[in-house]
Amino acid sequence: MAPKQLLLPAVVLALAATACGAEHGTNDQPAAARPRGVYAVGATVFGLGARAVKLGAPPVAPLAGWLTPAAVPSPDERYLAYNAWEELREDDPALSWSDQGIEPGDPLATPSIRLYDASTGTDELLEDGAFSVAWRADGALAYFKGAERDYRAGVPYVGSVFVRSAPGAKAVKWSSEEGRYIVVSWADGSLVGYREHEGEALDVVAFEGPGRMRVIAPDSGLVALSPDGRRAFVEQGPAQGRPNVRVLDVASAKVVARLDLTGVDPSVGAVDYAGDWQGDRVVASTASGLAVFRVRPKTIALEQAIRVKGAGLSEPHFATASPGHVTAWASVESGGVLFDCDRATGRCASFKPLPQAHGVHGFPVWRRNLYNPSRPLREG
Amino acid sequence: MRVVALAALLAALACAGSARAANGWWAFERVTNVDSTLSWKWTYPPSSAEYSRRWRAGSGTSRYECHPAEGWLPAGWYSQWGHWNQYDGSAVRGRVWWLQDKYCRDGVTRRTELFIHSEETTSNGQSCSSAYDDPFCWERAADYYSLGCIKLARPSPAADFPNDLGNAHSVYHNYGGSSAHGAFTDAYELYVFD
Repeated sequence: MAPKQLLLPAVVLALAATACGAEHGTNDQPAAARPRGVYAVGATVFGLGARAVKLGAPPVAPLAGWLTPAAVPSPDERYLAYNAWEELREDDPALSWSDQGIEPGDPLATPSIRLYDASTGTDELLEDGAFSVAWRADGALAYFKGAERDYRAGVPYVGSVFVRSAPGAKAVKWSSEEGRYIVVSWADGSLVGYREHEGEALDVVAFEGPGRMRVIAPDSGLVALSPDGRRAFVEQGPAQGRPNVRVLDVASAKVVARLDLTGVDPSVGAVDYAGDWQGDRVVASTASGLAVFRVRPKTIALEQAIRVKGAGLSEPHFATASPGHVTAWASVESGGVLFDCDRATGRCASFKPLPQAHGVHGFPVWRRNLYNPSRPLREG
Repeated sequence: MRVVALAALLAALACAGSARAANGWWAFERVTNVDSTLSWKWTYPPSSAEYSRRWRAGSGTSRYECHPAEGWLPAGWYSQWGHWNQYDGSAVRGRVWWLQDKYCRDGVTRRTELFIHSEETTSNGQSCSSAYDDPFCWERAADYYSLGCIKLARPSPAADFPNDLGNAHSVYHNYGGSSAHGAFTDAYELYVFD
């Protein structure tokens, strides 16, 4: 077959491949695709400055997963507050605690929050026996601190929520009773997080000050806050009825918009917590990849569903410098993988920076994007 | 008459003795979030012959075991450190079995607050009043979804599901499970298949 005769079938095949590309693999890497923003590979953090930074410990929050960021840059980007986890004894996930000789009450690990100062290069303990942190535009810092320092076998890790006006300031308790709280973000002056119950049931709560907590979305997950911090985009999965997403007013907890996810593209299914809101668009991970929603004053509409085969994406965020791109990460058998998705093409490229990096105890290394979900991020 | 009574007593003691001698454990085969299988298995040591009963069960709303409050129960062995008939939690109530926390496959994320349970009130009843989904009423197949726990069905005024929770509870107590209630440290275990 002559070259010209080859051309037409090739074009037809190419067009067919594009048209059938509703489900995209992760190996295609458009020229512009690359890891964006701040991200960690184990204890090494990229994107804080011109050079990679090696932290004192990998940023991880085992008791929160990615209900809250593993590390949070301060609004002025001078600091990085991050969660750390020191194992006091090895815990093999293949074996039961009894088979490992772990008795009720045995100390297993110590969570902590550490502070990296980019201006001095110092990396210091901020709070021992604590995890999950939120950083407000004026520099105020909130976190959860356990009633006991160590996480112990068979003992729920309860504690309180504290706020400091600055990293070195005195901590003020904001929660009135001990519980399992996870701090996520500031919504203007309100501190938003979770109160966890048995079975990992989550209420989205807002603290307005010491002793002033409200449930703003029971049995729900927080996807993102609006850029002005006044509204919250929350989700409910099928365990609580029809999967849905809602926009609610943080101050009143009143629902201002709602979308029943059983009435949209079935590939969406349900959406996950920990997404992003930029302008009037919200991105969230779904059962099949990503969903981008358009938020109007009283309505929510699904604008785009991007399918990503074989990977449960987590913490998708609009790339700050390139809103047409969404960054995310996934935990796969071979370790953490970063993703960069191009909304224009609906394609996602995967990346494994530092491919030889190893995690703790022989587990694959985490690769995870880091961000500050508080809104607004600038004062005034 | 006395002979009959004595024989009945001996038979009852023999049954009780065999029940105490049984060695039991849970097994969970993950198939889908709403249609997996929970088994209670037991042997009569030193015999290795294995017996089992199984029930449809659900877990999580996704297959990503590392997703807190969403993924199904991570694979591996678990210690069961408690059993209550009238557990009075805020989200989980009634007949429950409490499981240890577990690292998922990434070796970092810990799943916590894990139970085997159903949707019932503290007193093992049903509270069915709203139009769609009550947290303590088993009214539909989607109630098999959980945030990570293992869930079993039970009948309710709203729907005619089998009494799997009641059956599992009886089998557990009759065939090698602990007679104790509350928190305890007997080495009853659950194995979740990968």
